Amino acid sequence: MASLPLLNPYFPNNLLAWHGQTPVTSREFLSDVASLTQVLPEKGYAINLCEDRYWLLVGLAAALSRGQTTVLPQSRAPLAVEEIHQQFPACYCLTDLFNSTGPFPSFSIPQIPRQSFASPRIPMIPETLIGLIAFTSGTTGQPRPCPKTWQSLVTIAKQTAISLSLHKQTHISIVATVPPQHMYGLETSIMLPLQHGWAFHSVSPFFPEDVRTALDTVPSPRILVTTPFHLRACVADQTNLPELECIISATAPLSLALAKQAEKVFKTKVLEIYGFVEAGTLATRRPTKEETWQLLEGNCIESCGHRHLLHGPHLPQPVCFPDEITPMDPQKFILGRRHADCIKIAGHRISLTELNTHLQQIEGVEDGTFLMPEQELGNHVTRLMAFVVTQKKTPAEIVEDLRKKINPVFLPRPLYVISHLPRNGTGKLPREALLKLAEEQNHTSGSGSQGHRINS
Amino acid sequence: MVETLNLKMDSKEIDPNAPLFGEGLGLDSIDALEIALVVSQNYGYKLRSDDPDNVKIFSCLRSLCEAIEKNRTK
Repeated sequence: MASLPLLNPYFPNNLLAWHGQTPVTSREFLSDVASLTQVLPEKGYAINLCEDRYWLLVGLAAALSRGQTTVLPQSRAPLAVEEIHQQFPACYCLTDLFNSTGPFPSFSIPQIPRQSFASPRIPMIPETLIGLIAFTSGTTGQPRPCPKTWQSLVTIAKQTAISLSLHKQTHISIVATVPPQHMYGLETSIMLPLQHGWAFHSVSPFFPEDVRTALDTVPSPRILVTTPFHLRACVADQTNLPELECIISATAPLSLALAKQAEKVFKTKVLEIYGFVEAGTLATRRPTKEETWQLLEGNCIESCGHRHLLHGPHLPQPVCFPDEITPMDPQKFILGRRHADCIKIAGHRISLTELNTHLQQIEGVEDGTFLMPEQELGNHVTRLMAFVVTQKKTPAEIVEDLRKKINPVFLPRPLYVISHLPRNGTGKLPREALLKLAEEQNHTSGSGSQGHRINS
Repeated sequence: MVETLNLKMDSKEIDPNAPLFGEGLGLDSIDALEIALVVSQNYGYKLRSDDPDNVKIFSCLRSLCEAIEKNRTK
């Protein structure tokens, strides 16, 4: 069976990671992987719950070495992990917590005795092995698994570097504000370094000052992998960042104004990646130079009426774009609006249908819907609101029920309890009717009606 | 803070001792970054994730204000 190395190229003494303040060489990394590989149970799936980028990679690499599939849940909330466990009963759990307890076998990676191997072997991973299962939001309320073969992860890493003209760089330090569990974070901050002999920082800095500290820790040339959300904060804060090779942004379209500002303030190139969980990274561009997106080599777009499908050598079947696009030629496109059912807030994606399903399943809720208001002017992140018909629950109770099921960024702000939803003759909820309702509620709640905010 | 986070509420409605995150005011990480930005711009105090006092600083509006008062440079 054809296989591809875990690390390529392999320079034993080169740094692969800054684990906090501690530099880790590629050899030390392979020793850590070998130490963990020996103790893992004979099971098909490893649910990896590590927050730390380095421990997450050690867990992923050890599972790959054993021919096992890593499952990366969207959320580490106990209920979400339990649901994943039910989908993949033959699994164990990897964490980076020191006292991990759970309903099924769990390994705390930092507690596994670390052996030192003088010349640890480089694991060769079968190309067709499902190395990873990521999740995307489904329309049924259940996250939908997206399996990734090892070959597809390696191909995307190689092609992304070529597309960003970084493939000839042998020494790069990556600092990523994006968590490694996110597909974009995993591809850019773990797979890119593994497949190019680069290094990464284990933390995911959050505040602008954290970003500066992390970048100051690592040597030049440095790449900051981030999102428009964090980039805007660094630009607004005029954070004094060290010299950067480039900034890579993804998860939401970057405005031209912000891209220009960032290039000016940080004296570097701002590059953008476009992708989604089902396909992974699929196109790149430099927004200050071109509006069009260039597909990674080997990919192409097939249009069937208004639907656009992505074909790629790493994709078992073509996948549909979640955004509207206008193909310019089979390798180039312009990005349009997000499809109406697709909600994205601060890099997290969910379908409106899924949100509504969660809301309507809450005990005591007779009817309910979420609404994404029109994007507001200015720089605020626009939040969802919700309308609920209930006799039995307070808005605060409904929000608490939702908090157990969905990522908090999607919690409604505000949530209004109303007598009935403006459903039309066919039972549908026209967006215009909901926007009008929002305006009315916003107006009346100011004078003390039962319109309710999340805080009370 | 109400203006920064677009909370659509009256600032007098915030209990200075109520938790900011999770239950209580229901803020999240997006809000935390917005708060950090405004605090940095207005008071020159740069919030950091590795500050051991963060749990206390972000516990409620009163603690946040005390931290700003203590660390402000403008």
